Amino acid sequence: MTLRQKLLLMFSLTVVGVVAAVAWTVSVRVRGVFENINQEQTTALVNQFQRAFDGRAAETAATVEHVAESDQLHRTSLEIGSGRDASQYLTIAGTLAQDFHLDYLELVGHDGSIISSAQWPARFGYMERDISAAGKPAFLNDENLPDGTSQVGLFAARVVPGSSPPLYVVGGRQLNADFIRDFPQTPNTRAYLYRNLGTDFDPVNFAGALQNETAPYKALVNQALSSAHNATGVVYITPRREDSVDATAIPLKGSDGAVLAVLVVANSRRGMVEVQRHIRDIAFGVAGIGILFAIAASLWIAARVSKPIEQLARAASQVAAGDWNARVDIRARDEIGVLAKSFNNMTHELTEQRDRLVQSERVAAWRELARRLAHELKNPLFPLQITVENLVRAHRLPRVQFDEVFLEGTGTLQAEINNLRAIVSRFSDFSKMPEPQLEKMDLREAVQRVIALHAPALEQKHISIGTSISPEPLRILGDPELLHRALSNLVLNAMDAMPEGGTLTISASRSADFARVAVADSGPGLSDEECSRLFTPYFTTRQHGTGLGLAIVQSVVSDHRGSITVERPEEGGARFVITLPMVNYLLPEHVTA
Amino acid sequence: MLRRFAISGVMLLAALAAGARTRPHYGGTLRVEISGDPWQVPDGLARRLVLDTLTTISDTGSAQPALAARWESQDAAHRWEFALRPGVHFHDGTALTAEIVAASLQQTCSAPANVPCPWSTVHAVGSSVIFTAESPLPDLPELLAQTEFAISRQDATGALDGTGPFRVSGFANGALTLTADDDCWQGRPFLDEIQIFPHRSARDQALDLSVGRADVIEVPPELVLQAEQQHLAVLVSRPVDLLALSIAPNGPLANLQTRQSIALAVDRSALFNVIFQKQGEVTASLLPASLSGYNFLFPPDRELDRARTLRGPAPSGPLSLGVIDPTPTLQLAAERLALNLREDGFNVQMAAPHTAAALILRRVHLEATAPRAALDEMCALFGQNGKVTGTDPVALWQSEQAVLANGTIVPLVWLPRAWAVGDRVRDLRLSPDGLPLVADASLEGQQ
Repeated sequence: MTLRQKLLLMFSLTVVGVVAAVAWTVSVRVRGVFENINQEQTTALVNQFQRAFDGRAAETAATVEHVAESDQLHRTSLEIGSGRDASQYLTIAGTLAQDFHLDYLELVGHDGSIISSAQWPARFGYMERDISAAGKPAFLNDENLPDGTSQVGLFAARVVPGSSPPLYVVGGRQLNADFIRDFPQTPNTRAYLYRNLGTDFDPVNFAGALQNETAPYKALVNQALSSAHNATGVVYITPRREDSVDATAIPLKGSDGAVLAVLVVANSRRGMVEVQRHIRDIAFGVAGIGILFAIAASLWIAARVSKPIEQLARAASQVAAGDWNARVDIRARDEIGVLAKSFNNMTHELTEQRDRLVQSERVAAWRELARRLAHELKNPLFPLQITVENLVRAHRLPRVQFDEVFLEGTGTLQAEINNLRAIVSRFSDFSKMPEPQLEKMDLREAVQRVIALHAPALEQKHISIGTSISPEPLRILGDPELLHRALSNLVLNAMDAMPEGGTLTISASRSADFARVAVADSGPGLSDEECSRLFTPYFTTRQHGTGLGLAIVQSVVSDHRGSITVERPEEGGARFVITLPMVNYLLPEHVTA
Repeated sequence: MLRRFAISGVMLLAALAAGARTRPHYGGTLRVEISGDPWQVPDGLARRLVLDTLTTISDTGSAQPALAARWESQDAAHRWEFALRPGVHFHDGTALTAEIVAASLQQTCSAPANVPCPWSTVHAVGSSVIFTAESPLPDLPELLAQTEFAISRQDATGALDGTGPFRVSGFANGALTLTADDDCWQGRPFLDEIQIFPHRSARDQALDLSVGRADVIEVPPELVLQAEQQHLAVLVSRPVDLLALSIAPNGPLANLQTRQSIALAVDRSALFNVIFQKQGEVTASLLPASLSGYNFLFPPDRELDRARTLRGPAPSGPLSLGVIDPTPTLQLAAERLALNLREDGFNVQMAAPHTAAALILRRVHLEATAPRAALDEMCALFGQNGKVTGTDPVALWQSEQAVLANGTIVPLVWLPRAWAVGDRVRDLRLSPDGLPLVADASLEGQQ
């Protein structure tokens, strides 16, 4: 990851984090505010329901009172009081219940036995205990019905005025879905009535409501049933938030304190959730724009900060690649500007130092060349001078003797001239090293060819050969002739290093993506200075060497993108190691080349 | 002298006026409203007016000639020969023949809904109809007086035709119109027409009678007292309908003691006193007291403690209680019975209409007026195999006790039939089984 990318990521994360934190804070705060508002609405709604329920109870009590005060019951009480058979009034409760729109109505005698029942006509003669509540406010009761079921109702008991013995009226209305439906409701509110049958929660006990609509209220209803107090909570009708409601379960108790039913008032949170979502969407939108802006700003800032550093990095790379003329054009006055100026000064200084070094090396090379040339040429020049001086002195000798000396002198001259020509030819050859003709080849073949070529000479000089050749091919791109020449030079050097015989060890192996050839001798070895100057042209440790052999080897290896090193093994001698890249390591352009 | 003539004249005029008031008049249309079907067996009013039986039952309970002029039994009541009354014609003019009578009776016996006939064969020989049976049929003349065995045929249009005093003339505006048959073998009835309005509720009938839209209406037993308090002219029959609880002798009530527990748990007095407003009589017998005279031997009292002792462990599941031909009153009676049985520890639930139930409340109509025939009829109606032998009360009691011993029938209340009559109807009487003898009635102010 580049510096610019890192800076961009850092800036972006910082901005996103800040914006997200702000958006989250706003969202939480807004949610809290709306939760409170919604809760207040629900509380007001519950109070409204409670008032409506109380009003309905008072209305029921008033209706029962009207029944008790009706002319028909007044007449009935007089007739029964005068001794008329009460069984003749079996159906009167049904008629009165219909006239006064009551769901339940019973006419009860002074002994508590039912004379007439609207909801269960067959119960005549059975006892009705609710007459004890005569004159009291309306109360909840669980009324048994002929089909074996029971219904919760709002009841009131009254005495028929002026009846003697007293005649009671117990009437009421059923608490069902219709009863709830008449309550003041808004489109966002729902009210349900849950019948407590004393069994586990069952959605079917909700009057007139769909099971999948009421099933989520289980926990709330159970809480109200167990605590006999209002239970409030958020109920999720579906997993979606907008389908949640603020619900309150109100236990409805009978006269004995038992919870007969639970009134559930639910206030939809859809509006609140939608407002919250709207605000959140706006916050996210603003956050998104802010993030985009922040990314753009980060790009600009990152570019501004990283551009000089990138220029410095590029320049450093150029320097590393050998281009010491690399410069950075930064005019900033900050630390980056100081760094750029220092870099430019450094490369300038390096260039000058290199030039000086090259110049000094060039002088040293010329000196070495002159020394070598002088050394090389001085050796044949001395016999030439002696021979010429001999010829001059022989000119005074008799003809026969002169001829003999002349022939001998010319022969010597010819030999030394040839020697000089050979010296010049070697120097010429070094200056005219051919370009390598690269082709796919197995390095092992080149090694084995060199061993085969020099095996007789080695044997003659009592040098034993040790080989270690890789069994797998060592495919490289190389010029077989040049590599043969380089390896031969190493073998010849090793032979020269072991005039009294010894052991020549040649190995060819693979090391990762490189082929490695090592040529080791068991000769006297090399000093540190010799090791450091060994590949310098015209440097030699031999009396008659030109100092070009290893230079040629290094040149060939370099042309094959390889390297050559010299090592001093612990067991003695010297070991030259050539490392060449294998085919699959080379770049495509080299392959095609 | 003059004074004597004057007094005689006034007395003569008074006698003439009285005679004019008591003498029935011909003509007029009688409007009758009923709650049931006019053709239903056995108490369909139209069936009684259009069709005749071979015999009828006299006020004393004995058989008397009708379409059969005479009869005689042979072979120890294994064979009966009924000689048809000559000169009887159906309303379309077809003469009544023994072949038609035999075919009508055979069709009645083969009808799947009917009780199987007691005789083995019935066929015509000349103008006589011959019945043969494998067991003696001593009460066959009384049996043939039942409406179930009324003689009918289908006319050319496929309509039901009979030999009764009225013939069907149409059905319009919810009323079945019957027209008097001038050539009826019994003589022309006084009324020209009878309009029968079927399936009317008791409330509508009372309203129509009060505003003069009906002349005769059916009054349920529970409303008889109320009708009398409203000073309506009400004709009340002797107890002719038995309200009884049938108990399936299998399933959860296979145990005899459980069934006996149910019989002891029911509160008949509540049904009689409150629901049916003291009409009829409480009973635990298949025959009304007026017929048997021994029904005190079947105590109708509720014995809840004994019922609980007999019950043993209550059936685990609920018991269903159904009502055949339910009316609001019968439904109320059934609910009361359910309450009684719940006190006994049974979990009784009311069954939905037309569903099978372990307990069935039903109301059956008794047509026979002779004790032995009546018991035979009740046994047949309740699907019991008991055959009454002997005619003395002891034999009857033993037979009835044997029928009731298996606890599948719990008689509850005998109920009367009652009819309220309008002011212009004269001479209307009830048959022994509680139906109005409309053919004998007339209307006041008709010429």
